[in-house]
Amino acid sequence: MSTDKAATATPPARARKGSFSFSRHMNEVSLFVAIIILYVVFTSTAVGFLSFNNQINILRDAATIGIAAWAATLIIIAGEIDVSVGPMVAFISVMLAYFLQWGVPTPLAFVMAIAFGAVLGSIAGILRAYFDVPSFVATLGLWSALRGTALFITDALPVSIGRNDIVDALDQPVLGIPPAAIIMLVLFAAFAFISRKTAFGRSVFAIGGNAHASFLSGISVSRIRVALFAIAGAMAAISGILLVSRLGSGNATAATGLEFDVIAAVVVGGTSLSGGRGSMLGTLLGVLVITLIGNGLVLLGINPFFQQVVRGLIIVVAVLANIQAIKRSMSRNKG
Amino acid sequence: MTLATKLVNDSPQPIVASIRGCTKRYPGVLALENADFEVAAGEVRALLGKNGAGKSTLIRMLTGAEMPDSGTVTIGGEALAQTGSSRAAEAFAKGVRVVYQELSLVPGMSLAENLFLGRWPRKGGVIQYEAMEAEAAEAMGRLGLDLPPDRLVMGLSPAERQLLEIARVLVGRPRLVILDEPTSSLAAAEAEKVMTAVTRIASEGIAVIYVSHRMNEIRRISHYATIMRDGRIIDTVDVKGADTREIVRLMLGSESEQVAPLQTAAREKTVLEVNELALAPKLASISFRLREGEVLGIAGLLGSGRTELLQSIMGVRALDSGTISVDANPIGAPNYKQMVSRGFGYTPESRKEEGIVPLLGVDENTLLTDFSAVSNLGVLSKSRMSEATRRIVDRLHVKTAETDTPIGTLSGGNQQKVVIGRWVHADSRVLLLDEPTRGVDVEAKAQIYAIIRQLAAEGRSIIFVSSEIEELPLVCDRVVVLRDGRLQEEFTSPNIDQDAVMAACINDH
Repeated sequence: MSTDKAATATPPARARKGSFSFSRHMNEVSLFVAIIILYVVFTSTAVGFLSFNNQINILRDAATIGIAAWAATLIIIAGEIDVSVGPMVAFISVMLAYFLQWGVPTPLAFVMAIAFGAVLGSIAGILRAYFDVPSFVATLGLWSALRGTALFITDALPVSIGRNDIVDALDQPVLGIPPAAIIMLVLFAAFAFISRKTAFGRSVFAIGGNAHASFLSGISVSRIRVALFAIAGAMAAISGILLVSRLGSGNATAATGLEFDVIAAVVVGGTSLSGGRGSMLGTLLGVLVITLIGNGLVLLGINPFFQQVVRGLIIVVAVLANIQAIKRSMSRNKG
Repeated sequence: MTLATKLVNDSPQPIVASIRGCTKRYPGVLALENADFEVAAGEVRALLGKNGAGKSTLIRMLTGAEMPDSGTVTIGGEALAQTGSSRAAEAFAKGVRVVYQELSLVPGMSLAENLFLGRWPRKGGVIQYEAMEAEAAEAMGRLGLDLPPDRLVMGLSPAERQLLEIARVLVGRPRLVILDEPTSSLAAAEAEKVMTAVTRIASEGIAVIYVSHRMNEIRRISHYATIMRDGRIIDTVDVKGADTREIVRLMLGSESEQVAPLQTAAREKTVLEVNELALAPKLASISFRLREGEVLGIAGLLGSGRTELLQSIMGVRALDSGTISVDANPIGAPNYKQMVSRGFGYTPESRKEEGIVPLLGVDENTLLTDFSAVSNLGVLSKSRMSEATRRIVDRLHVKTAETDTPIGTLSGGNQQKVVIGRWVHADSRVLLLDEPTRGVDVEAKAQIYAIIRQLAAEGRSIIFVSSEIEELPLVCDRVVVLRDGRLQEEFTSPNIDQDAVMAACINDH
């Protein structure tokens, strides 16, 4: 029979406000609970966890992951992946240090660094969009080539920038808050806005949800894919600039493994690796979870090797619990 | 011509499978009503009937996938006794095999591996490649498929893939093989190979049920054709003696009600002209014009090239040759984005795979084609989005709780209205609708017809592709029939006669 049985089912009538919106944001709610639990556990076990200085540290650490994670969220929602973040940050930090050594005016050097990041990112985007190279492979190539180039040209030594007031200012707290954290939050607001309020952002969701239907609806699927990777490159460049301001040098060995923290934060934040679903708020909470875990374990004085084990476990358990919570709320919604 | 009202079994061969007095009811539909059916060893029985006639239900009875509400199904002399999922296993054990339309091969594995997919002969966990390939070569040889068994499926032609699917069911010595439109995706020359294979299977004493509407194929390989309509087995006819018009009459029934004549809105101006379009191996020298405000129906069997035609006009597929003119200006090779900006809109046949973004709301699924119309300086305006969506939802009678309800939760008919609605939102003036009523309930179908007529009355031009013949006179000002890759016949409202259209679709010349 050609009669589509699902076709005759009436859409479930739902209360939009109140209970429904709560279950719609089940993901964010359960992450929020996880963060509270982490706070309670670390406050009671780790000395100095709740101190102002440590909270500032957490924010600063969060910025490193967060800025890259905003762009990564859009990429993953579009059904793609970017594993080149760490080497991109390191490479751009090296390039920026050289620009400054060559006497390029600082603001211009920043702009050049960001443009550089965007161009490098768009290489992966073009490979994906126009040559059908899977984004994992395209960015894996970048991952290896960028790290290698940075190590090769610097011989793995830090590239000092000397004295630079503007760069130094980027590491001076404003009202006690590090500029990196402020930049992270401003960018968060921008990305949250873009993802929800612009045609570009909604097209990203549409492409991740059904690329074919999006194409047939006239969305420029290829162009948006390139733009996404260019944006990711630009965000990594901003992280690279902040890294230079923090270390006072460009560093080819920096940000090792950052890409996995970023992906973990996005996934913990509830964004689906298969695309089409996710939220910036979720990623913000995911970034906090990842950062809190790292910070707390250090304060607890746990063996650094063993820290990685604990981190791995917590990430998997967090995602598992989240998936279960969402499943439960969805089946409750149906019934 | 023989119009046997009793079951046909004048061959001495034993009956392999029979259905007695089977009735099956789904919520709201009587899918099978008191059906009697039997098929003998070595026979190729054609099964005909339009969509929803009950063919699939009949097949599911035989495979044990469904249980009849009443009546019995007998395979190899024994009635199926099990219920639930073990019933299918029981039918399988008794030798019932089905080859479905959707091919289920793994392209990156070898022919032999595909033939035994999941049931690879093993010794201590290690696949016995030599034995497997020998047996595979034998099974394929029975169908005249002489290919090295270690070759990858990837490089096979569509016909070879279809033959491999058939060879797959021959592995366990089946009694009854059911083929569901095995040639629908094949060009005529390729279909030949499949028919030869079917004849060979039957000559081994296996009963074959052959679902198809291509009369030339049926005439070549079957003696008898069973015709279904509205869940009933209408008749079993001797194919050699029956003429196509008679079979069409049995398929469609005589109750084709008189249709109120359409108010044509077609004007003189030609908006789209297609000249000598070709796309090997599916389409050859296709030429037609579409006028402003006209609804042009394209009729044709599954696999006749309808989708390919629409897609090559839109630039989704590159055409081999031919020219396309929009508003009397020839355009080069069409490019999808350019066609959209020329005011064309296309709704694909497979709504779920290519039409909707299931997780997004009705609003975004509608506005996708033109976000700029609901933006202020590039920022989407919530109020304008819901207002624009509300306009489309009201106009096209989409039943949805809210404008931002995820479209995946809507019924098929309502999803389809949204997919059409997104081109109304984009204000397209030429709409190419590929099977817009497939998998849609009766009420939604009627609404979609009304929507199409209304859009035409506004001066939009519409190409309406359908395999449901009876809806063509309700919607179209003109109908062209696509068969063997060419446009064969043309019917103009009010002279769109269902029987004649159907006969043109299935006939051989």
